[in-house]
Amino acid sequence: MIALYLVAAIAVFAAVRVVIEQKTGRKLPYANVMNFAVAGTIVLLLDHPLSLVAAAAYFVGSTLEANAVASTYAGGMKR
Amino acid sequence: MLGEFLHILAAATISWILFVTVDILFRLPEAGGVSGASAVARDIEAGGGALAGGTMMGNIVCSPDASAGTLLAACGVYVAGIPGGLAAALMVFVGNRICHDPGYAGTTGAVLATFVVYAFTLVGFAATDFIAGMVIAILTIQGLSHTHASRLLDRLWRIRQ
Repeated sequence: MIALYLVAAIAVFAAVRVVIEQKTGRKLPYANVMNFAVAGTIVLLLDHPLSLVAAAAYFVGSTLEANAVASTYAGGMKR
Repeated sequence: MLGEFLHILAAATISWILFVTVDILFRLPEAGGVSGASAVARDIEAGGGALAGGTMMGNIVCSPDASAGTLLAACGVYVAGIPGGLAAALMVFVGNRICHDPGYAGTTGAVLATFVVYAFTLVGFAATDFIAGMVIAILTIQGLSHTHASRLLDRLWRIRQ
């Protein structure tokens, strides 16, 4: 039970830091912590075998988004 | 209650050592896997951090690495034991390919973490301890002080070299 509250609290903490941080490049690691915490929360809340798939889908999707944001921020694809 | 808290702290330490070791062995601090990872590294360096550590942090942001592998493996062991952990490793592998990452740090980390987490469940730990532990471990790297975390990773990377 402590695990769930701890992970949820870390998600909120990371979300607040994303909002406070000014530079995009430094926002992303905080968003990464939030994604870890939300993926953990999904599994801890839903005690079902498929919750693993939900957490993995959320995590991979959000990582891909972070990847896209970071690459756009870096100047996009050089053609 | 205190016992569970201590288990979570121990699990956080074990997860931290596991994922940092695997990531450094797979040379994540060496170069950004995608241009975005290098951009994150540059911003961390501009804030007073170290470039190699920042590069590893950028790579963690941009593709599922050993830390993601450890988290999802712990989730997999929690819902379905060793088969669940190996299923998580497969999903991390797919995630790496989706994120244009040619490396195997995530998959290796997930497979290793599956057996580590399962071994600790045999000696009184719960898989949930490792889920919370891994979130704390990633918080210490990515969520507290980018400057100090990147310098620490840089120091570990120099030892690897």
